[in-house]
Amino acid sequence: MKLTRLLLLLLLPLLLFCMPALAQDQTVTGKVTDAKDGSPMANVTVQVKGTKTATQTNADGTFKIKLPTDAKILVLSSVGYANKEISATNGDAIVSLTQTTNNDLNEVVVIGYGVQRKRDVTGAIVKISGDKISNIPVPSFEAALQGKAPGVQIIQGNGLAGSGSVVRIRGVGSISASGDPLYVIDGVPVISDPFLRGNSGAMNQNPLASINPNDIESIEVLKDAGATGIYGSRGANGVILVTTKRGKSGKPSFTYAAKLGIATYANKPNFVNGTEWLQLRQEAWVNSGKTGLASLPNGITYAQATQNNTDWWDLLTQTGFINDHSLSMSQGNKKLKTFANITFSDDAGYLKNNAYQRIAARLNVDYAVTDKLKVALTSGYNRGTNRRVNSSYAGGIGDAMSSALPIFPVYNANGTYFTNGANPVRNINETKRREINNRGLVGLSFEYQPIKNLFLKANGSVELISSSDDQFETNLSTQRSTADSGYAKRYPYWGYNWTTTYTANYLLNIGTNHKFNFLAGTEAQEFSLKEYKVEIGQFAGSPYYQHIQDYYNRIDTLKKNNPTGIEQSKDKYTFNSFFGRVNYTYKGRYSLQAVVRLDGSSKFGTNYKNGFFPSVSAAWTISDESFMKTIKQINFLKFRASYGIVGNANFPNGKYQDNYRTGGITYNGNTTLYLDALGNPNLKWETLRNTDIALEFALFGNRLTGEIAYYHKATTDILLEPGLSPSGGTGKVFRNLINSKIINQGLEFSANLKIIDKKDFKWTIGGNISRNENKVVEYELGPDAVGGGTNDTRIIKGLPVGVNFLVRFKGVDTNDGLPIWLDKNGKQTKTFSLDHRVYAGSVVPDFIGGFNTAINYKNFEFSTLFSYVIGGSIYENSGKYQFLGTSSKFWNFRKDFLDRWTKPSDISQYPKLVASATDYPGVSSEDQFNSTMFLRDASYLRLRELTIGYRIPKTALGKSFIKDVRMFLTATNLLTFSKYPGGDPEITRDFENAQDRNLSPNITYLTAPSQKTVIFGLNVNF
Amino acid sequence: MKQNKNKIIVIVMMALLVGLVGCSKFLERKPEGQLTKEEALKTEADLLAFVNGTTTLVGNDDYMGGRLQAASELLADELKGDKFTGDEAEIFGRRNSIFGDFRNNLYIKAYTVINRANVILETLDLAGTNKGYIEGSSRFFRGMGHFEMVRLFAHPFGYNTDNSQPGIALRLSTGNGSIPRSTVKEVYNQIIVDLKYADSILPVTPQSGTKYYTVTKWVAEAYLAKVYFQMNDFANAYLYAGKVIASGKFMLDNNYNNRYSTGLSTEGIFILANNTTVYNPGSELRGKYRSDRNAPNYNYTDIFYNFATSKPGDVRKAWYSKTLVVDLNVSTKFNKDFFDLPIVHLTEMKLIRAEAGAEIAASNPAALAVAITDINDILTRAYGGTSQNLATTATAAAVIVTTRSERELEMVNEGNRLQEIKRIGARNGSNIDRRGSPWNCNGLLLQFPKAEQDANASFQLNVEGGCF
Repeated sequence: MKLTRLLLLLLLPLLLFCMPALAQDQTVTGKVTDAKDGSPMANVTVQVKGTKTATQTNADGTFKIKLPTDAKILVLSSVGYANKEISATNGDAIVSLTQTTNNDLNEVVVIGYGVQRKRDVTGAIVKISGDKISNIPVPSFEAALQGKAPGVQIIQGNGLAGSGSVVRIRGVGSISASGDPLYVIDGVPVISDPFLRGNSGAMNQNPLASINPNDIESIEVLKDAGATGIYGSRGANGVILVTTKRGKSGKPSFTYAAKLGIATYANKPNFVNGTEWLQLRQEAWVNSGKTGLASLPNGITYAQATQNNTDWWDLLTQTGFINDHSLSMSQGNKKLKTFANITFSDDAGYLKNNAYQRIAARLNVDYAVTDKLKVALTSGYNRGTNRRVNSSYAGGIGDAMSSALPIFPVYNANGTYFTNGANPVRNINETKRREINNRGLVGLSFEYQPIKNLFLKANGSVELISSSDDQFETNLSTQRSTADSGYAKRYPYWGYNWTTTYTANYLLNIGTNHKFNFLAGTEAQEFSLKEYKVEIGQFAGSPYYQHIQDYYNRIDTLKKNNPTGIEQSKDKYTFNSFFGRVNYTYKGRYSLQAVVRLDGSSKFGTNYKNGFFPSVSAAWTISDESFMKTIKQINFLKFRASYGIVGNANFPNGKYQDNYRTGGITYNGNTTLYLDALGNPNLKWETLRNTDIALEFALFGNRLTGEIAYYHKATTDILLEPGLSPSGGTGKVFRNLINSKIINQGLEFSANLKIIDKKDFKWTIGGNISRNENKVVEYELGPDAVGGGTNDTRIIKGLPVGVNFLVRFKGVDTNDGLPIWLDKNGKQTKTFSLDHRVYAGSVVPDFIGGFNTAINYKNFEFSTLFSYVIGGSIYENSGKYQFLGTSSKFWNFRKDFLDRWTKPSDISQYPKLVASATDYPGVSSEDQFNSTMFLRDASYLRLRELTIGYRIPKTALGKSFIKDVRMFLTATNLLTFSKYPGGDPEITRDFENAQDRNLSPNITYLTAPSQKTVIFGLNVNF
Repeated sequence: MKQNKNKIIVIVMMALLVGLVGCSKFLERKPEGQLTKEEALKTEADLLAFVNGTTTLVGNDDYMGGRLQAASELLADELKGDKFTGDEAEIFGRRNSIFGDFRNNLYIKAYTVINRANVILETLDLAGTNKGYIEGSSRFFRGMGHFEMVRLFAHPFGYNTDNSQPGIALRLSTGNGSIPRSTVKEVYNQIIVDLKYADSILPVTPQSGTKYYTVTKWVAEAYLAKVYFQMNDFANAYLYAGKVIASGKFMLDNNYNNRYSTGLSTEGIFILANNTTVYNPGSELRGKYRSDRNAPNYNYTDIFYNFATSKPGDVRKAWYSKTLVVDLNVSTKFNKDFFDLPIVHLTEMKLIRAEAGAEIAASNPAALAVAITDINDILTRAYGGTSQNLATTATAAAVIVTTRSERELEMVNEGNRLQEIKRIGARNGSNIDRRGSPWNCNGLLLQFPKAEQDANASFQLNVEGGCF
């Protein structure tokens, strides 16, 4: 019944589309823009002078006002801007208002389903302008947010081209459900799931990589319930709104932007050479009481081993070349505004044969059909081509850090590849992998204003996705004799994601003191991906992309052989939502917002099909109070608070229902039927109760601006997939844990200071610091019920999500070189036991943030951004094997492990080397050799960005067609200060699933270090 | 005006109707390809298909397709361990700890089969004329699963006089809550109940064809023989092995090499049928032992190799090679691309009846004669003639010694040896382990997956270590 009423409410305004517009006589229209940059100004009061007749401008700055017959003058007013009077007969005018205060509080920020002036915003939103994203070379746009937004942790992707970052907004409150934010591009929630290809080749596919940074006008990060409440069941992890560029008023202008540069690795681990490795192997052998020459892997002889000293790292890396070009056009007149852009980039990483190529095109058009009807087209096409290489455990650079020993050659004496051990050169030369992701996102929206202050908007968008993953092994890899007996295969998936949104927005002013903004809307979304259930592959001499017809022929053959079809659903879900928002402002300084959202989804269990998510938020601009006017140092002071319930619905679909499946095979000629997984009809979203309070300020003539915020997030109904008794035989079942709660609470502080603010010389410094305390406060399962993938992080009541649960390594016995451990009670012991494990650290840092400075002197600019992490731990899951490299594990041995015990009375960091991990008493195998010996401080300080720029003076350009030229040199990850000995302290490895991603950032497993890049950039405007 | 109003109301009502109907379908669309239990199991044919699916799970790599045998052989004393790392090194070292997917997946897969059997047993109202097969095979799968688990994860029957030592969780219904370990005695009692019930209702012939590719009465009896033999209950072991042999349905393969072959064996009492294009049971066995392509990690100690290849004329020596891979004693038994996977075979029944018959000779003299015939059948095939056969007057003790030795040779790589170390230890306290460990040391058990204790803190794990 409630639903019906809500529907009625929402559908009624839509019907108004069909009604004839009421005649409006004696009206005048116009548009208000910001004098600073020409951007449209919303919510500007337009009042007939001397009367109470008034209206407000729309989101696009336009207004329409019905005039009394004697009206002569209109007064335009907006807080923070000087009032302006214009002639009432001056219809269709574009009026610019000039800021009276020198801060960015009048900036318009994008919020869910609308825009708002920053000073009126009641939620926690950080805006990052597009130029801060597009000017630096990053593997994927989200990496450019690092250090720029308080409370937003970005662990940038590893060194593989196109790799994605782990993004955490105010911590993580989930275990098995994803902790990733919702990505919304131009109002459309888009596909961002990093697990569409699992972790094949030891890399998670990153759908965000194909997004063109050059298209981005701004990114808004929504953090609290006041901001994300309108996204209901998908707002718990925060929302990242990406707004693409649109045409601006003015004659056609073109911008050409280029970036050319080089890429290498930021840090690298160092390994011993062949001779040293053999010596250490012998040392380990003797230490374990064995005599004679140590055995070598795979029966290799010493004569063979001593001939080689292969530097695998060197053979697998290169200086990558970055090549990025973009041409865009913008124009705008009264009727039509257009933005168009084409981009080509090809960024080779530092790994040989590895590069990400991006081809992108965009056309955004705004067309005013009539005064009342506007149509907007938003369209973008992105094609990302990732020339992949294997890494980590799958080979490539991972082998160079593990099992490809310096005593192995690349080639045998007869010129054939060495195959009696890891050979990553063979791997990268004789395998080819090309992953292509096509994404088209097209949206068409209509905005109709049937009556004054009522705006009806209908928006339909479709995101089309197609992805193919071509893999090819030559016959030298398949070890077959003829050149055409390599193996080519392709794994495609394809699908769509359509969204329709209808909103009705009504502005109501009661007198001059009471302003209301009502929004009601409904949204439906369907997401569907398909794939083939059989492998499309065959013996071939080259990859499918070089002989595509064979691929299609193969599909035809397989279709003929499979009468039931070869396609299957890869993923599919729907959302259907209703939402409403009321904003009320009293006297321009007291703001109140209430939001409700009703979300239904096909992901939810049959017993919980719809969730209700309410939130309220309020803001008080204290500086506008009369008692504050006398305090000249305070230019702006706003207190805001929010509370709301939002959800996390980011978990796989189809989990609520039992999964019985007819078998793809017959047994003994008869059909088969299987139960793959049990369903859970009670499955629902995770519930987050989110509180935020903050103070925004501008002091000392707006020179010092900033914000301090406190938040408290309590997640309940935690979704868990593992943890059932394995003897139940039912496998994993997604379920909301009763008596479960995870708290994230923290403080954020950001500030920006204009030290010098003169026309020709500006110097600013700024920065932010955030502290997030993460704690699992209610949880009933044992410590090992949930692990982050294969790694040693755990969920333990009373501790953060993702703790290192390890045996403590006390030091080395100087007499015999054996490790000394601490048992549970802290008592020293020399016998290792998993029973000694205790909480030893956490992947959650104590503080994160960044600081920057920028100097502009005449046409020169200089800016830097440092990002940092204080506290938290890195666990080297592969480090333990590298330390045991000269045992029977046979891995590369890292140089920092050389500080080991060799003889009595040696004082060393590491114990004596042994021929087998089990020679350390109590160690059952090298896999269990997890201890704080390999736990590191994750703190680092990184010179994330450094830019030197020069803008050619306008006078020098004279009257040429070129309007503006800017050149810059930018370096990323140039310097890193860290105590971490294993290479790069930012660790985003391949994850097995969302749970692994939540629990185990900062757990290394042969992770390729981040890129370091230096580029030259050129922006020309004409 | 009024007319307009009415029109609007009608339009709104229609829009609402369309909207609501649309919405409910929109949200309740089913996950594609997934069937609910009600949709999947509607007829007896569906149940039969589900039994078929469950049968293929028995041959899964993580279970009887090789993992079960491999775990047993790692704990036993025939393999050389220097090439093992990780989980396999742990189990080989008889220091299996709380973590390790090698062991976890075996445990999970065995209990998955038990769970699927329980699903069928809870849906029997759909069964019709095939009820005996459907119910019987499910009871068999459950009994077999509990038996294979209890003898890997608990001390053997006979470890205590009252067998009160903790066994495993008995899963007799589909619930997924935690269940504590029953005692070994309770577990064996339930296994026997399940297998005897299966024996009483299962058909005597396979569902189709002449090969025993589906569960029949005979495999229930064969497993009863195995269970009683493991319990050192020789009278019953003799009885049930005898029933299977007497059925006349199975013939010893003429060629020692046929037991693992595609369709050539006549001695399989329950065989998982290979189908080259769709289902290849036993790939884990091939993966572990196969020696004609790469050097296998699973290779033998010199002591065992010498024992196995010492007797002149033993045709089974072809199962070993010292030359195929330099410096390694490797197996050739599974050097094949595919084979049908026997779960239990007539050779084992003969060996059980031979040893059990000798054990009960004092009270049943006729049994000794049967035992001698049985072991001689094996010997005749193994040595290509009667040269190694026992005399018809051989003593019971001689029969036992010979049978144990032949059992090890016949059933090499099949997961037999570990259970012999334990059974013989429980029989009379003797330690036959070539590595010198006492038969009842804790490290000869697999540790339970830690997840059992994380799901319920009171779940009792095994004590670790104490072996060498």
